Amino acid sequence: MSGVQLDFIPKFEQSERIKVLEARNQELGTNGMRQYGTYGDHRCWLNIGPFPKMEELPSVKNGYKMTAEQWGEDYEFMLDNMEPHIYPCETVVGEIYWEMICLRTCGPSGWTMAPNADEIRAKIEKANELGGGTSAYGHTCPDPEILLKKGFGKLLEEIRANIKKYTDLCNERRARYLRGLEHVCLGCIHYIERYADLAEKLAAEATDADEKARFEKIAACCRNVSVNAPKDFYEAVQLLQFAILFDRATGHGNGYGRMDLYMYPFYKAGIEDGTLTRESAREYIAEMYMKLRGQFFSFGGRLEDGSDATNEMSWVALEAYDLVGDYNNLGVMWHSDMDPDYYDYACDVLARHGECIPVLINWDIMHDSILRSGVPQSDAWKVVYSGCQWYCLPGLEWCGHDTSSINVVRPMLRALKRAAADDVADFETMYDYYEQELHVTMQAFQEAEAAIDRVRGEAQPEMFTSLISHGPIERGIDMTGPRGVDYQNTSLNICGIPNVGDSFLAIKKLVFDQKKYSLQEVVAACENDWADNEIMRQRFLNQPKYGNGLSEPDDMYVRVATSMQEVAEGYVNQRGGQPMRPSLYAFMTHLEGKDTFPATPDGRHNGEVLAHGINPQAGASKRGLIPMANSASSADMRRFQGGSIQVDIQPKFFDGKENRYAYIRDFSAGFFKNGGMQLNIHIMDLKKLEDAMDHPEKPEYRNLVVRVTGYCARFITMSRAYQEDFISRVNYSSMS
Amino acid sequence: MDKKLLTIDVSHGTTHDGPGMRTTVFVKGCSLRCLWCQNPESICPTKEVWWDKTLSIGCMSCAEDCPTGSLQCREEGIHIDRTVCKACGACAEACPSTAMSWQGQEYELEPLLKEVLRNKSYYDQFGGGVTCSGGEPLLQSEFVAEFFRRLQEEGVTTALDTCGCAPRKNLEAVLPYTNYVLYDMKIFDPEKHRLFTGQTNERILENLKFAAEYIRKADHPMEIWIRTPLIPGATALEENIRAIGGFIRENILDVTTRWEMCAFNGVCVSKYDKLERQWEYDGRGAMTQAEIAPLKAAALSQVPEEKLLVSGMIREN
Repeated sequence: MSGVQLDFIPKFEQSERIKVLEARNQELGTNGMRQYGTYGDHRCWLNIGPFPKMEELPSVKNGYKMTAEQWGEDYEFMLDNMEPHIYPCETVVGEIYWEMICLRTCGPSGWTMAPNADEIRAKIEKANELGGGTSAYGHTCPDPEILLKKGFGKLLEEIRANIKKYTDLCNERRARYLRGLEHVCLGCIHYIERYADLAEKLAAEATDADEKARFEKIAACCRNVSVNAPKDFYEAVQLLQFAILFDRATGHGNGYGRMDLYMYPFYKAGIEDGTLTRESAREYIAEMYMKLRGQFFSFGGRLEDGSDATNEMSWVALEAYDLVGDYNNLGVMWHSDMDPDYYDYACDVLARHGECIPVLINWDIMHDSILRSGVPQSDAWKVVYSGCQWYCLPGLEWCGHDTSSINVVRPMLRALKRAAADDVADFETMYDYYEQELHVTMQAFQEAEAAIDRVRGEAQPEMFTSLISHGPIERGIDMTGPRGVDYQNTSLNICGIPNVGDSFLAIKKLVFDQKKYSLQEVVAACENDWADNEIMRQRFLNQPKYGNGLSEPDDMYVRVATSMQEVAEGYVNQRGGQPMRPSLYAFMTHLEGKDTFPATPDGRHNGEVLAHGINPQAGASKRGLIPMANSASSADMRRFQGGSIQVDIQPKFFDGKENRYAYIRDFSAGFFKNGGMQLNIHIMDLKKLEDAMDHPEKPEYRNLVVRVTGYCARFITMSRAYQEDFISRVNYSSMS
Repeated sequence: MDKKLLTIDVSHGTTHDGPGMRTTVFVKGCSLRCLWCQNPESICPTKEVWWDKTLSIGCMSCAEDCPTGSLQCREEGIHIDRTVCKACGACAEACPSTAMSWQGQEYELEPLLKEVLRNKSYYDQFGGGVTCSGGEPLLQSEFVAEFFRRLQEEGVTTALDTCGCAPRKNLEAVLPYTNYVLYDMKIFDPEKHRLFTGQTNERILENLKFAAEYIRKADHPMEIWIRTPLIPGATALEENIRAIGGFIRENILDVTTRWEMCAFNGVCVSKYDKLERQWEYDGRGAMTQAEIAPLKAAALSQVPEEKLLVSGMIREN
C-alpha cells in the first residue's frame, strides 16, 4: 500500500491489514485529527469538533458542584455521547473524541472552582515566587489487571455493595463518592455495549464473508467485555484498549503497568489451546499501539522472588512496536539478571528505529528506591516505570507525579543575595543559607499542595483510574484523597540541580578560595546579566562543570541533589502524612528560565534555558559521552523517584560499527551498573532536524518522532522553542 | 617512582587504542620527532602554553600578566615568543576563557586511578581497559608500570602504545603489567627512519623482538598489535610496507594478533596553529582507495589477511 512510509529497517513484514491501519494512523497523526501535539503523552483523542451537547452536560445544566459525584455524572454523559465507529480492517476498536478537562468548566484545575479558590491561588502564587510549582495533571498508574480479572460487571457490583454499606453506616460522603464511581462504570459499560450493537448491525449488513466474520468477532468480544472478564487474549487486548481510552478521557498521561506480566496468562492460554499465534498476538497489540499512542507500558524487571520477569509476552509487546514503529512510549526495565537475548532485542529495536523506544530503565534502582521509601517488599517488587521519568506501584499509589515541582535556582539566588548582604566569609556558611532557603521554598510548596489536597478528591478526582486501583471502591475515597490507595507520597520534579551545583563550585573557587571576586560582585553581575563584565562571566563559565566526569563538580552536584532530597523528605503532605520524594527531572520547568530566570553564577546568561533534569547545562559537557554518563550516575539515584539522561547520538557515531545494538547494550548496561537510572537514547541526524524546523511540510518529516524528555512527540508539531531546546542538546558523534 | 605523570589529555571512551571501549592517557614527552606527528603538544617533555583563537574574547589579560613580556598581539592573534617565554603559565592563569591554556597536566597516581576506574563498568561491558599513549609512555616508565600494576589488580586490562624508542629497562619495567603492546613500526629503512623521525630504528626493532620474546614466556595474557601510520611519501610506500611485513612474519608473527595500517588524516592541523608551528602535511587530504590498495597488497604478501586491518578515513577517489 502506498502512502505508508517506513522510516526504520523492518524486522517483520506488515500484513495488508496492518498497512491499511498504519496508513490511517499516519494520516490521523499528521492531519491534526489525532490530538497529541507537544505534550503527547496525555492525549489520544480524535478531534471531530467541540462536544455537541455542552448545555446538557449535568454540571452545566444543573449548575457546577464541586463533587466527585457530579464529575461522574459528567463523565458518564460524555461517554454516552461518543458515537461508536469501526474502521476498515480493524479488529481492536474504540476511539474517544473529548476529554473531561476540556468539557468541565473548571478545566484541569478543579480547585479554581473551590469555595476557597482565592486562598489556594494565593498560596500557589507564593510558592511559585519562591520556586515551588503545582499543576493539575497526574501521571499515575492504575492496575489494569483488576479489570482484566473482574470485568466491569463485577466492579459495578462491588461499587453498589459499598454504596449500600456506607449508606447503612450513614457515611454519606463515601456513598456519594461511590455513586459518582457508579456513573463512571455505567458510562464505560454502555460505551462498549454500543460498539457491540454497531458491530452486530454491520455484521448483519455485510456481504463479504471475511468482513462479516470480522464484525461478528468484534460484536461477540464487545458484548462479553462490556460486563465480563475477557475470555481470551484478543478480548483482553480489546478490554485493555477500552480501559486506556476511558482513562485518557479524563485528560492525563498515566502509565499502564507491566503489560507483559498481566497479559501473559491470556497469551499462554491462547498459545497452548491453539487459538492464538505469536503473529496474531503481535498484530492485536500493534493495533492497540497505533490507536493509543503515547501510552506507557513497561516490560522486564523482576518478579517477587527476584528472578527475571521477562516472558514471551515481553517479546511480543516489543515486536508489536517493531512492526509498526512511530509514536509510542514503551520502557524496558533492565536488571542485572535480565534475559540477555531479550535485552539485545530491546537494544536492537532502539537502534533500528532510533526513536528512543524503548526507554531503558534500571529496575533495580527503582526497586531499591521504593523500598527505601518504606514500602514493604511484598508491594515494592510490583514497581514499574510509568512514563516520563517515574516509577509507580500500579493501582497502589497516587503521588501526584508531575503535579509538583521545585526549581532550586530560586532558593539559590535568594541565598546568594542574603550571603552577600551579610558578607559571609566562608562557603559553608553560604551553603547553610542555601539550605535555609530550600526550607522556605518547601514550606511554601507544602502549604500550596495541602490547600489543593484538601479539595482534590472532589474537585479534580481521578475516577476512572480509581476504579481500577486497589482501595477506592472499598474505601469510598478517590485515589487522590487521603488513603484512597495505600501509598500517597508526593512526587516532586526538581529542576536546576546542575546549575546550582556549577554555580556553587564557581563561587567556591573564585570567591572563597581564590578571592578574585566578592559575593556582592557576583550577585550584582548576575542581576545585571554580566553587563560589561564578559571577562568575569568567562571566568565563571570556565570553571569545571558537571557533565564531564570530573570529581569536583560532580561532588558538588551530588551535594546539592542530596540536600534537596533530605530537605524534601522532612516534609509530609495532607493526603496521609507521607513524605515528599523528589525526582531529578524537569518537564518544562527548565524552559521557564528563558523568560524569567536571571543570569546565574555558572556563567549562564539571563534568558538561557536551565539544565534539563540531570542533563548538563547546554554546552557544559565537553569530554564526551562516558564522562557525561559518569556525572549523571554520580548521585545515589535510590534517593530519587527518577532521573534520566538524554543521549542524542548522530548516525555517524555508528560508522564502521556492525552491531549498533551491541553499543547501546554495552553502554546502557555499563551506565546501569554504575548506578544510572534511565536512558533516553536517540539516533538522530542533527541536519535533518534543523531542516525539519524550516521545512515541516516535507513528507519525510511527517513521522519524525523525537523524545522530548520523558515522552515522545512528533518533531514538526512541537513549538519552535521546544525544537530549539531539543537541538541545542549535546549530540554525540563519537564515543570519545 | 616518579611522583607524577605529565599528560596532555585523558580521553574517555576511545575505541581505536586497543580492544573495546577504553580510556587513553596521553603522556607528554616523546623520543621521536615524526614530521607527521598528530599530537605535536605531546613532544616537549615539559609543560607549555598554547593559544586557541576560537576561544579568545580579545581581553589581553594574558599579555598584561606575562612577566617576561613574551606575548604580543599581532594581526593574526596572540604571538608567543617561545625564546623568551619561561613557561610559567601566568598567561593561562590570567585567561578567563581558556583560550590561553596549559598543555600538560600532572597527575598523581591515586587521582588518575580514581578517574579511569570510574569507567570500570564500561570496560567490563565492552571488553576494554586503559591505554597509555603519547608522547612516549616509556619515558615515564616507572609511573606507567605502577599505574598498570594497580589497574590489573582492579581487574582492568592495560595497553601500552609505544614507538619503542626507549631504554630497554624502561620497557622491561612496564611489560609485566601490560596486556596489549601497541607497537609502532613506521619506516623499516634505518636511515629513512632517522630522516623522518629524528632517530634510527635499530633500538626500536631490538626492543620489539625483546617484547615478543617476553610475551612468549609471559604468564599472563599478552599480545602485540603492530601499528603503521600510512603517511604519503614517508611510510606509505609499497617497499616499506613489504619490509615491515617481512619483519613481522619472520620475527613476531606468533605473538602478533593484528597489524593495523592507519590511513593519514589532517585533523591535527589546528594543534599546529595553536602552537604557531607550520605543519609539513598542511593541506594534504585523506588518502584514496587507489593509494591504499597496493599498500594493502604489499602487506598481504607478508602476513595473513585476518591479521591485517586498514583503518582511518579513506576517500573513494
